[in-house]
Amino acid sequence: MADTPLINLASLVMLAVVPYLLASQGTMLAGRTGLFIVSQEGIMLVGASVGFLGAYLFDSLAVGMALAMLAGGLFGLALAYFTTDLKMDQFVIGLALFFLGLGLSSLLFKVVVGVTLKPPIIPTLQRLPIPLLSNIPVLGPILFNQNILVYFSVVLSLFLYYLLYRTSIGLSLRAVGENPKAADSLGVNVRRYRYSTAVIGCMLMGLAGAYLPMVYTGTYTDGIVRGRGWLAIALTFFGGWTPQGILLGSFFFAIVDILALRLQVTDIGIPHQFLRMLPYLATIVVMIFAFRRVRAPAFLGQNYDRESRTAS
Amino acid sequence: MHETQALPQQSPLANAARTLVPYVVAVLAAFAAVGILLALMGFDVLQAYSTILFTSFRTPNGFVQTLIKWVPLVLQAFAFTIPLAAGKFNIGGEGQMIVGGIGAAAVGILFFDLPLPLLLPLVLLAGMIFGALWVLGPAWLLFRFGINEILTTVLMNFVAFQLIDFVATQIWPDPVAGHPTTVPIGVGGELPLLLSRPPLHSGILIAILVSVLVYLYTDHTSAGYELIATGANPRASRVFGISVRQMFFTSLLLGGAIAGLAGAIEVAGVHGRLIEGFHSNFLLLGIIIGLIAKGNNAAVPFVALFIAILEVGASAMQRTMAIPGEMVFIVEALILIFVLLTDVVRRR
Repeated sequence: MADTPLINLASLVMLAVVPYLLASQGTMLAGRTGLFIVSQEGIMLVGASVGFLGAYLFDSLAVGMALAMLAGGLFGLALAYFTTDLKMDQFVIGLALFFLGLGLSSLLFKVVVGVTLKPPIIPTLQRLPIPLLSNIPVLGPILFNQNILVYFSVVLSLFLYYLLYRTSIGLSLRAVGENPKAADSLGVNVRRYRYSTAVIGCMLMGLAGAYLPMVYTGTYTDGIVRGRGWLAIALTFFGGWTPQGILLGSFFFAIVDILALRLQVTDIGIPHQFLRMLPYLATIVVMIFAFRRVRAPAFLGQNYDRESRTAS
Repeated sequence: MHETQALPQQSPLANAARTLVPYVVAVLAAFAAVGILLALMGFDVLQAYSTILFTSFRTPNGFVQTLIKWVPLVLQAFAFTIPLAAGKFNIGGEGQMIVGGIGAAAVGILFFDLPLPLLLPLVLLAGMIFGALWVLGPAWLLFRFGINEILTTVLMNFVAFQLIDFVATQIWPDPVAGHPTTVPIGVGGELPLLLSRPPLHSGILIAILVSVLVYLYTDHTSAGYELIATGANPRASRVFGISVRQMFFTSLLLGGAIAGLAGAIEVAGVHGRLIEGFHSNFLLLGIIIGLIAKGNNAAVPFVALFIAILEVGASAMQRTMAIPGEMVFIVEALILIFVLLTDVVRRR
């Protein structure tokens, strides 16, 4: 009963949801104030590298996660400063920081660990069964016997929904992305909103990166993010720039991920390379539907110039 | 405002200085920043930097290596800057290069026996066509539904990684290679050498030709003018009868074809076969070059040469001093950021 294949599979999907969910909610949060981040892949790589090194050197996954979030936050701070204060093109500086993250992640690992024959390993995140709830048949092992970041990412999504649609902070936040000029004239501090959402959003991306070595591999390897950062942007569009849409959408992404992996090991006559293409091709197909129905925040990708009171 | 009005009256020399000074500052700042990092890690900074900057000029071998590296870099940069001129970001140059390489290898293997005057043009053409085909999907989705090209082009890279693995391990594998690799293409498909020792293939002439053609196209034809107008102000361009979506479509396809050509030249000039991983980092460097050149196609070949020098120097540094080659990638990213910063300073 406890370990039927289907329950096992559903449980794996819950695990695979986390990096998508964290990175996409981060993208959504910053996007809602008009900052369109394209550095996810780089920030997640830095998160993976720093998170692993922190956990390895201090022998604590918690320290690793904290450092990964700190590193992500620094990228967010840089992004906010370059776009909000210096009014640089969001895509151009986003790409530049993506490169920086790519180089830094690999360099940090090499410098700290050095060249070794066997890669250093950290213990992976433990399951944290919730008392009573984890005993519920079927749902218990799937939903309530997971690691802490699974719980965190789901609770975060619910919290973001509450924040955006049920509080006045959320109303102001959304207004900044839709019409910063109007928000500004009503006394909303546009700059402060952009800074805080950029930093928090990038912290989530750093954490999403740290999750990968801590749950899947136990070590850092170059390219460990495997395009999940870019998929996270697509997922944000797919989820309609809403926390609840992203929560649903990340299950779709995780299911495709797990399916592609599963089909590889069960020989069904299709070369495994084509199965590995599946998540990326599925994303493109899904975007065709998403883009037609979804409306992104009106000021997405544009900087707000307070002095001219128009978009720059 | 006053500054921009004063510009045309200045001498060309002063103009060149105005363009170059920010670059020099950016390069120095990036090297200084990374130098501090290197020193903190206990490396000999001066030796590292002299290795990076002068390896290309010390031996004929180093210089030829730099030229060979320059070819795909400059082509990848154009694959990025041509769509950029129209305001579109092609982040799929790597996939287009891979698939161009696949097309070139396929033709070179299938028509193994053809003589050089027939096979070589076919190989290069196949590269361009396959490269353009690979961006056709994203370009069409942008044209038809307005779907963000940054995402679709990037995602196609990951599909291409699997495709090259499939071709090199399942269709035309070379079992003795020990790494996913196809069998060699026909001798008639290989680019003739300009120098035999050290070997320098004639792909460099193609890259120079493409550079000139791209410059003439974007800066001296009405089609190129429409391209740039589209990027500068799509709404105004539409008013003046330019089909903006058509420009997006064409510019992406052109970029894809040039990226595909880069793949074909690597196959026909460097390896003589398709090797998985031959596309290493060329896309990222191409984007960095395009952005450092600020999309100016006349500047792209020169920035590409500088980056090729850094790259060749970086691998020498990794070999001799055990400093990770990623160091130079950070230098390049910082140069880009500092170039962007000098723009901000100048605006004020």
